[in-house]
Amino acid sequence: MVASRAAQTQLLTNWGGLLFLIGKIVRFSIFLVFLLTVSGPQKIFLGYSKQQVIIFYLIFNLMDSVSQFLFRGAYLFRNLIVTGNYDLDLLKPLPSYFRPVFGWTDILDFLTLPPLLFYLFWYLEKNFYLVSIFNLIQFFFLFAIGLTISFAFHLIICAICVLTTEIDSLILIYRDISSMGRFPIDIYPQIIQDILTFIIPIAVMMTIPAKALTGLLSWQGMIIPSLIGVFFSLISFRFWRFALRKYSSASS
Amino acid sequence: MKKYLQIIKITFQEYFEYRLNFILWRFRNLISLFVLLSFWLALFGEKTDFLDYSKSQILTYVLGISLLKSIVIASRSIDLGGQIKSGYLTKLLIQPINLFKFWFSRDLADKLMNIFFMIFEIFLVIKIFNLNLLFPKDPATYFVFFILVFLATGLYFYLSFLLSCLAFWTDEIWATRFLFGFIFLEFFSGSLFPIDILPGVLKKIAFCSPFPYLIYYPLKFWLGQISFKSVFWVILMEIFWLILFKKLALYFWEKGSKDYGAYGG
Repeated sequence: MVASRAAQTQLLTNWGGLLFLIGKIVRFSIFLVFLLTVSGPQKIFLGYSKQQVIIFYLIFNLMDSVSQFLFRGAYLFRNLIVTGNYDLDLLKPLPSYFRPVFGWTDILDFLTLPPLLFYLFWYLEKNFYLVSIFNLIQFFFLFAIGLTISFAFHLIICAICVLTTEIDSLILIYRDISSMGRFPIDIYPQIIQDILTFIIPIAVMMTIPAKALTGLLSWQGMIIPSLIGVFFSLISFRFWRFALRKYSSASS
Repeated sequence: MKKYLQIIKITFQEYFEYRLNFILWRFRNLISLFVLLSFWLALFGEKTDFLDYSKSQILTYVLGISLLKSIVIASRSIDLGGQIKSGYLTKLLIQPINLFKFWFSRDLADKLMNIFFMIFEIFLVIKIFNLNLLFPKDPATYFVFFILVFLATGLYFYLSFLLSCLAFWTDEIWATRFLFGFIFLEFFSGSLFPIDILPGVLKKIAFCSPFPYLIYYPLKFWLGQISFKSVFWVILMEIFWLILFKKLALYFWEKGSKDYGAYGG
């Protein structure tokens, strides 16, 4: 119902949605062109084949679009806090994190998903990467783990918003850091790789599912990402509960 | 003049009113710079030249992006669109101020604030990454660079003002700004990478727009990749875009002010 209302609101306006959609497509396309340009004619680029680098980029976009589609509510949560309207949501028979994280779904990101998925699987098949059902199962499992981590990040940001009423800069910081996942994180120095795997696990969200899909990950390689996913979820829920206990409902 | 100095002072105070927000905003700038730099360092790896740029050139370009964004792109006139929609503009219209000067004063405060902190942040990044940057030897280069940046600042002010003025007629101000003021600006101004590395058609489209004059051309000149002879034409074109956008912004402002219904006020 929330998604339906969000979609109706976004589609109500004439050409605003269209402009946003064009913007998203332009951004995706120019980055793709940029990627092809920096890859150049060489077959191996930064230790990966050119096709693999493009698959990593497509998976990054897929994760980004699905996260934006599902968790856009976090972007609007501050308004609920400063106006005191969040009190009304706390009275409803819904989990307390439902409205903050899922309170708004971005239909425009949803619209980009079918062509993106089509292009991804077409590209995989064209370049002979779609060979093993095991890789597909691995990918979907790790993609779900990635989404869980993305949810955890959004929940932590909402919790900080409850404590401080600050959210915009935090989300932008998260988005800036996650943009490092456009490329396989192995290209960065070891210390950045470690940070992006264990502290801000962008690698688990984007690079590792892409590795699974391209057959670069063994089944043992799924264990640590799964543990990181579970750990982040637990931490985010715990922090959310802590923040809610501190919620003073000062604006209402 | 005194009242505009007061506006600058008030704008400074506004920034420090929400201190956590301010700290996170600066941290975000540092992260953006760090991400962009890490990305280019990773692309270069052990190579000394890549895509017709040396490592020092591209690193100077990346840090230059951050500095020029602080000077040219940093802006508060972006708020105008929202104020037209909310009706807050009415409050400004009845005050004895020139609104162009008002918004320029707000922009100036924003730029000064950005430049002040960005210098520290760039210095920090240079120390962390131990970067070797390029500085022109000819003092005349600094003078021409200053002219290019000065004109770019004016050009962006009117371009941003024009985008905000569209709020007089449409509710879709954020969609328009997202497309023209963020996406096209980001790619075609050279805020992510030098435009000349793009393939033919995209490069031509970018060069036909006013965006490269904001970041790309000043930095190319700084790197010594545009001669003094060629920069003359760049300056002429930049003046052309500046005049064009100034006239458009004034035209839309005057027309919009007459149509303004102050619905939200």
